[in-house]
Amino acid sequence: MNLPHFLGVVSGVQGQGVQGHFATALIFVLVGIAFAALALGVAKLLRPSNPSAAKSTTYECGEVAHGSSWIRFNVRFYLVALFFIVFDVEMIFLLPWAVVFRQLFPVPGLGALVFWDMIIFLAILGLGLAYVWAKGDLDWVKKLAERSGPVATGITEEEEVPAP
Amino acid sequence: MELLHVKIPSWGDLQWWLPEAVLCCTFLLALLGDMLARGRRPVVAFAISVAGLLAAGALAIADTHAVAPAGGRAIMGDLMVVDGMAIFFRLLFVFGGLATVLFAWTSEEIMGHRRENKGEFFALTVLMTVAMMVMAEARNVLMLYLAMEGVGLTSYVMAGYMRTSLRSTEASLKYVIFGAVSSAIMLYGLSLLYGMTGSLQFSGIRAVLLGGGAEPFGILVAVVLILAGMSYKIAAVPFHFWCPDVYEGAPTPVAALFSVGPKAAGFALMIRFFYTTFAVGTNAAASNSLIQVINWPLLVSVISAVTMTFGNLVALRQTNVKRMLAYSSIAHVGYLLMGFVLLSEMGLAAILFYLLVYTLMNLGAFFFVVAVNNHLKSEQLEDYKGLGYRMPWAGVMMVVFLGSLTGVPPFAGFVGKLYLFTAVMDRQWFWLVIIAGLNSVISLYYYFRVARVMWLVRPDEGHDSPLRLSWLQYTVLACLAVPTLVLGLYFGAFKDLADAGIRTMAGG
Repeated sequence: MNLPHFLGVVSGVQGQGVQGHFATALIFVLVGIAFAALALGVAKLLRPSNPSAAKSTTYECGEVAHGSSWIRFNVRFYLVALFFIVFDVEMIFLLPWAVVFRQLFPVPGLGALVFWDMIIFLAILGLGLAYVWAKGDLDWVKKLAERSGPVATGITEEEEVPAP
Repeated sequence: MELLHVKIPSWGDLQWWLPEAVLCCTFLLALLGDMLARGRRPVVAFAISVAGLLAAGALAIADTHAVAPAGGRAIMGDLMVVDGMAIFFRLLFVFGGLATVLFAWTSEEIMGHRRENKGEFFALTVLMTVAMMVMAEARNVLMLYLAMEGVGLTSYVMAGYMRTSLRSTEASLKYVIFGAVSSAIMLYGLSLLYGMTGSLQFSGIRAVLLGGGAEPFGILVAVVLILAGMSYKIAAVPFHFWCPDVYEGAPTPVAALFSVGPKAAGFALMIRFFYTTFAVGTNAAASNSLIQVINWPLLVSVISAVTMTFGNLVALRQTNVKRMLAYSSIAHVGYLLMGFVLLSEMGLAAILFYLLVYTLMNLGAFFFVVAVNNHLKSEQLEDYKGLGYRMPWAGVMMVVFLGSLTGVPPFAGFVGKLYLFTAVMDRQWFWLVIIAGLNSVISLYYYFRVARVMWLVRPDEGHDSPLRLSWLQYTVLACLAVPTLVLGLYFGAFKDLADAGIRTMAGG
């Protein structure tokens, strides 16, 4: 079995049935590549090419860029991003649930399941939120003084065994 | 009403899933308890975790008597199945989780004054136990992936538990990166398989494969990718790089759990996935669907031989006992893979039995390292000088674990290896047995080097004071050492449990 044939079968160009659905995905990929290539290619042919040093600097809202963008970001940004993702995903789950809820709720034996499933899910997320809140991870400035011991200083080499 | 052709789960399914449900609640309760205690009293989370694990264990034992229909009971809309194998692994994981929680309570690395979020550790151990149980039950590709990530995510956090230690943080980061890569590789294989068969159920995939509805070349690519992803999880050569570094950096009780739990869960997953999709029913037509496209026995036997040889040869040169145990665990994966070569019921049952024995002896050996580390703050072999005279009871039990890991006769490790060897010999794979035998001889050297340093060398002057262990440590070690001895002489009942597990799985 050769590779082109295999790709053909996977994408559904050859063969039928379930695999046929993947033809759509393949067409999307091909159109995507073709669109980008066409736009850039035509622009390349039409536009005048006149590069200079000023043109190739980083564009930062008209300001002169200074310093490197490869700096260390505070880890708090990632924490906030994580909270955001958690509740974003919650929305993604809630929305389709809300859409079918009216249809499903009256079905005997199914209504309670559909309702309580989501309540349990929300309760678990709520507990998670309460937990990070209680741990002080929602505070932008963490109170280090409240923590006991030398933990607050961060990573150290203490109690290290030299690597063999 | 069947929405989108999905079988909707019902509350009734929960009655077959009680141990897991109890553990899920235990995890939430432990977090809540830890929160209400403001993180200052880890005993709250500890007590809740122990109680929950004991309850789950009792429920799992009660379930073994429930008569399951042939092929197991499909639950949660056919996403999971509770059969003999699931019950076997439930018991194994609850036992491993409980032993880890109890021993971690006495470990300086977990409970030392520098540590924070101690309660979280126990909650996470419970969560990992649930995820491992689900790994052994999944019969749907999505559930398989979800359970695997559940185990993965908790283990990344647990590996980095010692936040102030550079080694622990490094271990965590390495684990995340390797875990993400392996998941991606496996997902790619799974998505190919789904693309070709149009089914997420193992049984649905099998039906299409049996009907010849998939390209052999596609199956080959998918199987190789999935096998590679799973080999990362069980740390088989050549996907073992993360294993020694993670075990060495992680707190020792965590390394103990990693070396048995996720590995056993990985094997459970591999058994269920590869057996039920590719080889179920020993009739020729079915088992050929995999063998047509790929020389499965040769592939797995080569991986097995290379893994055990590599693990043992590198373990020879280690001076750090924890690192040595990490390489020895790689070698044991090699032995375990022997049972996987022929995908025969005999071999798979041998894997289950060996996993039980391996859990007992490997947890024991790691816990001994924990106990020593509490006192000496060292894992170097040279510091083990004369330890047998300083902690005689624990020293004796360590010799039992080491003997069993080597596989010498009176211990359980011997019986386990015997079954694995027989499964391969059954179809005349003598070269693999010879390599495995030679490997056992190599391992004899490095396991008994530890025993020799402990018992045949006198402690240095000034370093010969007796070391005390708490009653909890003695209890847990004894609960591991006694079965290691007993299973070497009386193993019928447990072998029957393993056989029954594989039989009911194969029935479906």
